[in-house]
Amino acid sequence: MGQKKFKWSNLYLIFVFIVLYLPILYLIFYSFNEGGTMNSFTGFTWEYYQAVFADKRLISIVLNTLLVALLSSLLATIIGTLGAIGIHYVKKRQTRNTLMSFNNVLMVSPDVIIGASFLIMFTFVGFKLGFASVLLSHIAFSIPIVVLMVLPKLQEMNPSMITAARDLGANNLQVLSKIILPSITPGILAGYFMAFTYSLDDFAVTFFVTGNGFSTLSVEIYSRARQGVSLEINALSAIMFLFALILVVGYYFIQQYNMTKKQKSRERERAKVVDLL
Amino acid sequence: MTGNAIIEFNHVKKQYDDNVILKDIDLEIERGKFYTLLGPSGCGKTTILNLVAGFTEATEGTITLNGKKVNDIPPNQRTVNTVFQDYALFPHMNVFENVAFGLRIKKMNKNVIKEKVAEVLKMVQLSGYEERGISEMSGGQRQRVAIARALVNEPDVLLLDEPLSALDLKLRTDMQYELRELQQRLGITFIFVTHDQEEALAMSDIIFVMKEGEIVQSGTPVDIYDEPINRYVADFIGESNIVKGTMIQDYEVSFVGHTFECVDAGMRPNEKVEVVLRPEDLVLTSVEKGKLTVQVDTQLFRGVHYEIIGYDRDGNEWMVHSTKKAKVGSEVGLYFEPEDIHVMRFGESEQEFDARLESYEEE
Repeated sequence: MGQKKFKWSNLYLIFVFIVLYLPILYLIFYSFNEGGTMNSFTGFTWEYYQAVFADKRLISIVLNTLLVALLSSLLATIIGTLGAIGIHYVKKRQTRNTLMSFNNVLMVSPDVIIGASFLIMFTFVGFKLGFASVLLSHIAFSIPIVVLMVLPKLQEMNPSMITAARDLGANNLQVLSKIILPSITPGILAGYFMAFTYSLDDFAVTFFVTGNGFSTLSVEIYSRARQGVSLEINALSAIMFLFALILVVGYYFIQQYNMTKKQKSRERERAKVVDLL
Repeated sequence: MTGNAIIEFNHVKKQYDDNVILKDIDLEIERGKFYTLLGPSGCGKTTILNLVAGFTEATEGTITLNGKKVNDIPPNQRTVNTVFQDYALFPHMNVFENVAFGLRIKKMNKNVIKEKVAEVLKMVQLSGYEERGISEMSGGQRQRVAIARALVNEPDVLLLDEPLSALDLKLRTDMQYELRELQQRLGITFIFVTHDQEEALAMSDIIFVMKEGEIVQSGTPVDIYDEPINRYVADFIGESNIVKGTMIQDYEVSFVGHTFECVDAGMRPNEKVEVVLRPEDLVLTSVEKGKLTVQVDTQLFRGVHYEIIGYDRDGNEWMVHSTKKAKVGSEVGLYFEPEDIHVMRFGESEQEFDARLESYEEE
């Protein structure tokens, strides 16, 4: 009975993964299609991959996208972390909750509205649309994400640790750098990566605030798809998928390596203690 | 105000909004002694500790540390360190870094830090644990790390906020010995906060018994145990039998219908008083030899002794600690010496109490 139930749950899992991954695999599969359409597979070719690497415009757009993502998530992480610390240490509960709500409203409000309002603002103050406007708006919509990732870590932190640090002679800056920041580092990193991926695949906001001569990958793919999807897009998607896969696998191995290192040092120490006894 | 005082509280008051935590506290802490603030939770004992450490500010009154007023000095500039109830160790640092924290803040030389940390870890018997993470340490070991982290800064006063409450009984008793021994070896003033009267009695030089934001009685453990000022202290510290009585004259008190010789004096004749008899001072004997006769109601085996509850003819409850068994339902006599009787006046302040004791003890 138990075994049968186990099998059902496995089947469900496999089904879910198929639903999630099939479209991506389908896309990748046809990136090798000689026929040039996604209707029938006629033969194998690297042609579209060569085209991607030959397409200078596409490469520069990829680099632009990465640059915006890296910079915006970095700045948003700094601002968001400080903001989260600020919100956490607001004394009045009501003020704190209000600030939190303002943060959450930005999280749930549709990208289209955020994008449109940014466009209105930038044009109103006469800001030139382009790299800077995209960067600024990406920073803006990433901050709430970072705040949301960092706040729980601050709440988890034992508040008497800060009292203890002050007791041991630390001033406010030292408390921040030696106690608070190290304690919430996992939240900061998570916030950074979340902001990075949000920025990387944002379409709606970027579409509004980007100007002539500057484009990110999502906007570019959208405009190309409107002219009829070339398999070059498939090839590009395949490369990006592979890139993400390598990142994930790399992260996994780094984690494994750190774990075994920690374990080994612990064992070594235990041996030392046993020797002493 | 002797020159040996390291901390002085002068009419210190503390309140949050309308909630009065401390009412007019006056106290003096001398250098090199082990002090205990004893009282139930919510009596303000931790608030006193926080005032000394600088985590909260007094609403009124002055606090001096080493002769200097410290009301407005932040905790990081006071030469006191605290061992917290939950230890408050830094989980992202190993044992060495935890202990070295205060020294690193002071920007000490690396080799000096290494030496000092090694020394203090040896003192708390944690040599060889430097590289351990905090999560790999047991409760008792964490406790020692917390103590080492505070002591390494060589504070004038070490504040301990119920540091033993999270440990199991055996470990707690061991730590009591260790803390006492450590304090005597280092000669640092310890202020220990607890609600556990046994801990307080075992370790302290001076105990402050607190109730609802006031210090009810202060003194050595023996003084407080043998001569509690009122019913509250007698009840809080140790087990006690408390009955109503009348002070016939000096050295003569009457209760439960008999008059007994006692060692208390300085009260008005025929004053209504309360009489304390400790359970371990009552000796089981035959009805003829006893000064009191009770009927044994229940008997519990406590390991070291039997705890016997009996009632006299007036219905007063008497608790007796005896190594001998009694028969439930039987009548037994209770014998006690005149010095086992302690007489307490109603509503006597600590000053009046001390003055009265002095007046007749000098004779």
